[in-house]
Amino acid sequence: MKLGQAFKMAFKSILGNKARTVLTMLGIIIGVAAVITLVSLVQGYQDSLTSWVEMQGTNRINVYAHTYDGNDITDELYDFCLNLGELVVGVTPNTTYWGVMQYKTTRMDSSTIYFGSEHFSVCNNYQLASGRDLAYLDIEDYHKVCVIGAYVAEALFGYTDPIGKTITVNGTDLTVVGVYAAKEETPQQWGYDDMIAIPYTVSRFIADYSYTDGFTIKAKDRTSTTEAITRINAFLSMAINPQNGYYNVNTPDTQMESDNELTNMLSLVLGGIAGIALLVGGIGIMNIMLVTVTERTREIGIRKAIGAKRSAIVTQFLIESGIISMVGGMLGVLFGFILTVVLGKLIFDLILMPQLLISVGSVLFSLVIGIGFGIYPAVKASGLQPVEALRAV
Amino acid sequence: MTLIDVRHVYKIYNEGDESEVRALSNVSLRIDYGEFVAIVGASGSGKSTLMNILGCLDIPTYGDYLLEGQDVAEMSDAELSKIRNKDIGFIFQGFNLIPALNAVENVELPLVYQGALPGRRREAAIEALERVGLEERLKHKPTQMSGGQQQRVAIARAIATKPPIIMADEPTGNLDSKTGAHVVEILHGLHKEGTTIILITHDNDLAKTADRIIRISDGRIIYDSAIDGEHEESAPQHNAQEAPAAETEVGA
Repeated sequence: MKLGQAFKMAFKSILGNKARTVLTMLGIIIGVAAVITLVSLVQGYQDSLTSWVEMQGTNRINVYAHTYDGNDITDELYDFCLNLGELVVGVTPNTTYWGVMQYKTTRMDSSTIYFGSEHFSVCNNYQLASGRDLAYLDIEDYHKVCVIGAYVAEALFGYTDPIGKTITVNGTDLTVVGVYAAKEETPQQWGYDDMIAIPYTVSRFIADYSYTDGFTIKAKDRTSTTEAITRINAFLSMAINPQNGYYNVNTPDTQMESDNELTNMLSLVLGGIAGIALLVGGIGIMNIMLVTVTERTREIGIRKAIGAKRSAIVTQFLIESGIISMVGGMLGVLFGFILTVVLGKLIFDLILMPQLLISVGSVLFSLVIGIGFGIYPAVKASGLQPVEALRAV
Repeated sequence: MTLIDVRHVYKIYNEGDESEVRALSNVSLRIDYGEFVAIVGASGSGKSTLMNILGCLDIPTYGDYLLEGQDVAEMSDAELSKIRNKDIGFIFQGFNLIPALNAVENVELPLVYQGALPGRRREAAIEALERVGLEERLKHKPTQMSGGQQQRVAIARAIATKPPIIMADEPTGNLDSKTGAHVVEILHGLHKEGTTIILITHDNDLAKTADRIIRISDGRIIYDSAIDGEHEESAPQHNAQEAPAAETEVGA
């Protein structure tokens, strides 16, 4: 028998019992939609973490130390970090503040103010677009200067060149010496250009405190990162008595790695649960195919009596279960897409899209499930003696 | 020339059990090419079981069945399917049409299993339906047709592949006498063209139109006109057998 004819017959039989077909498909639809949605959401979360880390730059170490007993170790810590020598490229305090900025009549209310060293841009992955960066002498001599982010430059100055202009930040006049290039923002990562960086030594003019308790360090490479973390930890564990303070040393890289491990695990667990749903859907197909075989025993008998081979009967039933599961799989992908987009927007506020691989994979997997679970009923149907099958009512 | 050669065939259900039923018991029979044979018996006499075995729809418990000199027991499923498809056309009492398919699709079905091209099988199906006078009803589903029309569709399906043997199991059983007569007429027409016809019936009048009559009762052949001669009286036990036979119900 030709395959085309077998498909035609399978479609006829599927369409002949629409309600049942849809209900059978529902198991596969839900299973596939669940697999796609869960895996895509986890994937999306992971991607947004990765892009966060990339935005900050790699080989970055955040050091935070705080003491309660008034024995401030900030300066010693800063010196220690600077003296890591070969291992580090730069060290900067990472204190931030919020302020009101004004140029002539234009005001900005909520930009981030970084109090940094001459290494601020290196440590925080900023590139200079024009002018000059913060310099050692700015820090040393308390220069009231600032380098502004791309967004601030545009908002305050428009098309005028900001270099050399004076802006007022929280009542203090600062000279703009440079502009940082805009970072490539993504829907997940934005706001990096709404900032200005000023020498940490002039922070007391801007903020009502001038306290630094954290540093950001840019290490030379990956191994240096690990080495530097080890050394800083050793230093801090000596310098800070756990009863009088605490400290924390971390890098977004390792954070990302542990987060990745977690999300991979989550992906597996959720995907597994969804996979079980898919399996249950497959059993639903087997169940309904068995019912179909029983119902159509007489028809099978007729077909055998007029010359259908076993293989023809098996093919017909396998095509039927294959079509049900494959169409179910495709509908599942469709619903999975919709769910992923809607939930991604609601939960992460991102536009997430399922990957092509997982979509195609799910459809193929459901096809395999349909055929796999269709085999038993199909073989059962084909094995009947024609006369026994004809006797069925 | 011998077409069908049945030797000491038994069909026993639930053998060894308390509910053992001997549907056929030591049946031997030869049918030649081109014969028109009526197998007559009461309900439950085993005549349908015999036809199922002759038609390769069922296998005997014991005994041999040679079809065109070949032992059916040694054939594979594929070979049996081919015989059912090409050599034998079945006409059942209950028509056995597939409800989801229309008349022409039902008639096409054996050709589909033959692998015939769509154009050729449509042609052959329409030709067969014309032959039974149903060319006006090609697209009708079985439920939209009368019993007589359905049986004619079934006949068309049986003759669509032009098989050398037609087996008809109570083809007029569900029909009124007029449509029944028409069906018998078609069978005689096929016989004139050289087709071997095996007709199963409980209707003596219908059986009398055949060249040869075989009477079966309690799973045994009790009369064969080819052996016992034309006179029904040589099998006087027949009428006496008819009533109690219904007790041994064997899926007629």
